[in-house]
Amino acid sequence: MAACRALVSRAVLPLHYHHVCRGVMLTHIREKKRWMKAYTLIMERKRKMEGPPPPKPRSQQPNFDYHAEVEAFSARLQESFSLELLKTAFVNVCYLRSEEERRRALGLDLETTTLNLKDNGELCVHGQQFTKAFLSDWCRGSFPSLPQEGVAAIVGHLTGSEVMCHVARNLAVEDLTMSAEFPVPDEILQGTFFAVIGALEQSSGSVRAGLFIRDFLVTQLIVKDLFDMWKVVDPMGLLVKELTCKGIALPEPRLIRSAGASTVLPLYFVGLYSDRKLLAQGPGETVLAAEEEAARVALRKLYGFTENRRPWDYTAPHEQLQKPSAQALTSE
Amino acid sequence: MTARGTPSRFLQSVLHNGVGRYVCQLKRISLIFSKKGQGSLGVRDFIEEGVVDFAKNNPGTVVYISPQSCRIPKIVAEYLNGNVKEETVTNKASQEIAELITKLSNQSGLDIIRIRKPFHTDSPSIQGQWHPFTNRPPRLCIVFIL
Repeated sequence: MAACRALVSRAVLPLHYHHVCRGVMLTHIREKKRWMKAYTLIMERKRKMEGPPPPKPRSQQPNFDYHAEVEAFSARLQESFSLELLKTAFVNVCYLRSEEERRRALGLDLETTTLNLKDNGELCVHGQQFTKAFLSDWCRGSFPSLPQEGVAAIVGHLTGSEVMCHVARNLAVEDLTMSAEFPVPDEILQGTFFAVIGALEQSSGSVRAGLFIRDFLVTQLIVKDLFDMWKVVDPMGLLVKELTCKGIALPEPRLIRSAGASTVLPLYFVGLYSDRKLLAQGPGETVLAAEEEAARVALRKLYGFTENRRPWDYTAPHEQLQKPSAQALTSE
Repeated sequence: MTARGTPSRFLQSVLHNGVGRYVCQLKRISLIFSKKGQGSLGVRDFIEEGVVDFAKNNPGTVVYISPQSCRIPKIVAEYLNGNVKEETVTNKASQEIAELITKLSNQSGLDIIRIRKPFHTDSPSIQGQWHPFTNRPPRLCIVFIL
């Protein structure tokens, strides 16, 4: 065997010898392969040098049938979408552009190979308007004393790209999205999700679309605090404004409790009294911080956004939805 | 191993599933089997008998049947939160495979690791969490030096 290999010159190789690279030659034998260790080490080094392979979209991996997936998407959410509208909702402008460029680059004749796909721009705008209107109405309905900026902040948070993309990814919208790049950028995913809501509204009506938004977007409010979503710089000023509007006496802050004033972790409780009745009390490390926190607690109580409020009733399908889009669209 | 050596998580659900509507978390299930191998006999029997009923009962899950030349038949389940679970079903009976598939369809895609607490609540306190100052009578100039 060794003598055989010694006689082989580089120019002429017998049929069953194969140079993989410098240092590894494959010969077909049935025993333990001598080239295996060298080959494995070279492949490991190559893999470590190149890093992990780029992620591939699910549609390019084995076992993916687009039509079946779209049907399953609509069945899974217990909604009956019109499949045409739903497929249009997933097609983005960037995908159409990249496809046309690819076809042009391949030298295909533009007239015979135009894409028959419509993009989701209209559906996206429609869905966005409907979602914002519905969520504003819902907020105003369930928190009637919340001012306009608060409602706008909550709606902005729920329709912002973080929350929308989180919901879209966990509903498998990313698998079905047709876009130019992968992983799908946040704005495009958000736009696709709005388009899906728009498609739902056009297929099944605004009541069903409202229920969909309630079940998937309003649930994202569950453990959130009001002032995480709404940045209020001066809670005391806002509280004074609210109380003057209602005609209640202005709040007077009083130090209620204090502990460890001379230690590194002092604790002060400040209570806000209006007309000698306690509005709210809040803790803080310094007296000023405690006063601000007390103002925030008072605002939360006023707007009804406390932690121990009654949770929203998701079982009642129709009574709580009172003509969502009409009011908001006329008022805005 | 020990609890600290193995991963653990809290009881949670994907996207507060069940609060609004219940969404079946299994999105795709692929049966990979061989047409002639003896390990795939159970899978082939299941495909003859039970897979169509399963697909009819779960319209939200796409079932892919892919016969390949493989020595070990597999079931690959993909969930909505992105997790992929592979189970080998070599030499399993058709009934066992049916039960396994029902189990996979009832799971959410979260990892099967130790759950720290068997309960979770979003509103842990109704009347306000107790702290050492609750229910203490506020007298004037009460100051605790700790």
